[in-house]
Amino acid sequence: MAMLKQDLILRNPLRILGNQENEPLKEGAFGAVLAKAGVGKTAFLVQLALDNLLKGRNVLHISLTQPVRKVCLWYEEVFHNIADEYRLTNTSELWETILPHRFIMTFRADDFSVAKLEERLNDLTEQGIFFPQLVIIDGLPFGEGVRDALAELKLVAREQGFPVWFAIKVPPDEDLSPDRLPETVGDVSDLFQFLIGLKPSKKEINIMVIRGDMDKDAPPMFLDPATLLIKNRE
Amino acid sequence: METYCNKLFCSEVGKKMKKDPAKVRNIGISAHIDAGKTTLTERILYYTNKIHAIHDVKGKDGVGATMDFMELEKERGITITSAATYCEWDGHEINIIDTPGHVDFTIEVERALRVLDGGVLVLCSVGGVQSQSITVDRQMARYKVPCIAFINKCDRSGANPYRVIDQLKEKLHHNAVALQVPIGLENNFQGVVDLVSMKAVYFEGQQGEKIREDEIPAELMAEVEERREELIDAASMYSEELMEAALEGDVPEALLIEAIREGTLKREITPVFVGSAYKNKGVQPLLDAVTRYLPEPSQVENRALDLENDEEEVVLSADPDAPLVALAFKLEEGRYGQLTYIRVYQGTLRKGDFIVNSRTGKKVKVGRVVRMHADQMEDIEEIPAGYIGALFGIDCASGDTFTSPGIRYSMTSMHVPEPVISLAIVPEDNKSQQNMSKALSRFTKEDPTFTVRVDHETGDTIISGMGELHLEVYIERMKREYDAIVHTGAPQVAYRETISRRADFNYTHKKQTGGAGQYGRVAGYMEPCEEEFEFVNKIVGGAIPTEFISSVEKGFRSALDKGILLGFPVTGIRVVINDGQAHSVDSSDTAFQAAARGAFKEGFKKAKPIILEPIMKVAVETPSEFQGAVMGSLNQRRGMILGTQDEGEMCVIEAEVPLSEMFGYSTDLRSSTQGKAQFTMEFSTYRQVPKSLAEELVKKAQEKKKAA
Repeated sequence: MAMLKQDLILRNPLRILGNQENEPLKEGAFGAVLAKAGVGKTAFLVQLALDNLLKGRNVLHISLTQPVRKVCLWYEEVFHNIADEYRLTNTSELWETILPHRFIMTFRADDFSVAKLEERLNDLTEQGIFFPQLVIIDGLPFGEGVRDALAELKLVAREQGFPVWFAIKVPPDEDLSPDRLPETVGDVSDLFQFLIGLKPSKKEINIMVIRGDMDKDAPPMFLDPATLLIKNRE
Repeated sequence: METYCNKLFCSEVGKKMKKDPAKVRNIGISAHIDAGKTTLTERILYYTNKIHAIHDVKGKDGVGATMDFMELEKERGITITSAATYCEWDGHEINIIDTPGHVDFTIEVERALRVLDGGVLVLCSVGGVQSQSITVDRQMARYKVPCIAFINKCDRSGANPYRVIDQLKEKLHHNAVALQVPIGLENNFQGVVDLVSMKAVYFEGQQGEKIREDEIPAELMAEVEERREELIDAASMYSEELMEAALEGDVPEALLIEAIREGTLKREITPVFVGSAYKNKGVQPLLDAVTRYLPEPSQVENRALDLENDEEEVVLSADPDAPLVALAFKLEEGRYGQLTYIRVYQGTLRKGDFIVNSRTGKKVKVGRVVRMHADQMEDIEEIPAGYIGALFGIDCASGDTFTSPGIRYSMTSMHVPEPVISLAIVPEDNKSQQNMSKALSRFTKEDPTFTVRVDHETGDTIISGMGELHLEVYIERMKREYDAIVHTGAPQVAYRETISRRADFNYTHKKQTGGAGQYGRVAGYMEPCEEEFEFVNKIVGGAIPTEFISSVEKGFRSALDKGILLGFPVTGIRVVINDGQAHSVDSSDTAFQAAARGAFKEGFKKAKPIILEPIMKVAVETPSEFQGAVMGSLNQRRGMILGTQDEGEMCVIEAEVPLSEMFGYSTDLRSSTQGKAQFTMEFSTYRQVPKSLAEELVKKAQEKKKAA
């Protein structure tokens, strides 16, 4: 089992993100994946989460747009696609070992606040139920007032010791390029240490590291539009 | 002004219009427990003249609702068996199956859905889409049942039907479209605005039986117009004619109804109605909707398997003159003997006909044919295709298919979950012993998720089922219906045993001391696998003669019944035999079976056996203030919390918890949430028991064995 996990970690194209210790984000730091609707932000984040789960880290996945059941389905789907891709068998045992490291929280977007999240986190940690080591937030609207919320969240993340990855929706009329950030992010981009853009081309979805460390010699990554799995162009 | 009395008059005339399948509706009423489906059914029966007085669930008058006809149901205020009944409305014959809302009785819901063509999903306007509604919705989706929704209890404080419509969209992914707008809510709930006819409808008279149609109140006009536009937009997807009419600003009622029906039948639109069954408001328009929007039997494609032709799928025709195909979907021990509820899919089932049970091949003569109204019945001559009725004096099991002689079809098998909990029962005296046997034989025929076996070591009778409540209900029924008093042991979880690594075996069974000898040697290995059991023969050169290979397999299979750790069934094992030895005189079927059993024991011990336990998917719905407490309580019970879903004032916590830890949870939950939370649970999977606990279990099992 341990070998299977290690094998999957080593094969994961995401390993090229970050510095030598292979961790793109430190405690309290923010990262984000940017793309237009339906391009694969959630699939990307779920793969990032699975990579951490395989390493035995606790991942708290927060969704403001989907119910728990739907988020669970995302994980199952991506995990099965990975198993198929690498032709793995007897994966149910592996799945069972990573499941206790995942916790899903969903909120209504209009009802979400950092204070509420902090309260929920305290419910978990004070009773020793779950201690997140990585947090993923999918569906947070990056509109007016988001800067204050992000600043508050940064304090919580530092205090509780976890990095946070966000999904940021790029408006349909804005273009995504490595040199120019969409307006929605522009105002708060200084809070992010890592920014990744997803941009569809004819055959695949290109993954652009807009900001952050990565292995410069590594082959570029892309999302396979059929499975939404991250792959290397080798 | 149209009154609903006219519709009743039509329905009396309708008695003569039988055998018109286009006017038949087979519907189920499904919902979360306490959403009010039994009350709704009761009102439907009242307005369709099937009953002449209204009784409440947990009624103050001590009579109880008509559909909850078992005494026990009346007492607990829950519906256990899905009583089938029929009524007539506006010239249509409606067969209703009232289904249980508690998840322990899911097999009843599944069975009901198997024979239905359409469903009414009842939701509480305060509670909204609750966890059981999600389960029921999933079941409806599995059987592709088109449905309409009824948002009940609009008179309750906190009623918010629009929030429920949003939940239908968000949680159940229904394209929910309001067909009515409530006039007032909570204490002030007066009636509904019909968005199709654009009339206000009020329910007057002592029991809401007098319908008064009026102009739409001016203060509601803006909202009504907005909702009607949404409705026309949604329905236009199914009718170009309607789209054009909408553009011209003149939408004929019939065109709109037809388009909504089209969308509903495709399961792409869920029309939503509102009301309060308890306050007698909104029930008659719902009946109209059942006849307008839910399918007639011929619009639903039903398939059977042709047993004579390699189980090839055949599409059945709703033709009453075609050969008969009918499904016995429910058995009941009635006052006059066994009653078999049956749905005819093809042909006609007539009194005096000979029909064949496809499973047993037995030919039986049809005796009495009846149509049920809760616990009353009406004798009829025949049940044509598309109808539901009941037969007397037919010996069969639930789920059996009956056909005309000459064809051998079987309706696709129903999804039957494995029982997860067991209980030892001991009859109090001889009389109870006899009655208990009768009761158990009946219950196991009625309910495939309820099973009975005898533990040969202790001599105890063990009953198994889907949950604590499921078994409790049968114990009570034994007492009340069969006068069998039984004492019960502690509930016992249905553990399984399996192996965690490969191990070799090489076992010789030898008994050659006087008399006829026995000899057989079996060698090979066993390893974990995903299937329940796999037997692979890799013997070359006749080390075990071919005629004994099946004996060896039989021996291994019999060993699976009882693992060596706790004595629970063994699962997930591949056995490969690759060597062995026989004796020209002393080898026999018995000898090789015994050798295989010995080999199994030897291999099993070496293959690091482990214990698996049933894990339940638990959903707790609680006010947000108790979220922390509920998570703590689940965590204490070895629960793995999958996630929490915040929904404003309420939240849902989803977790996977070992069944063995869930005993008495309802009491615990009540006390930690001031009775404001509720939970549902269903079987999810089997998972390994933690090592320390496994050791404890093994120790206890050994002590029990010694004591026995």
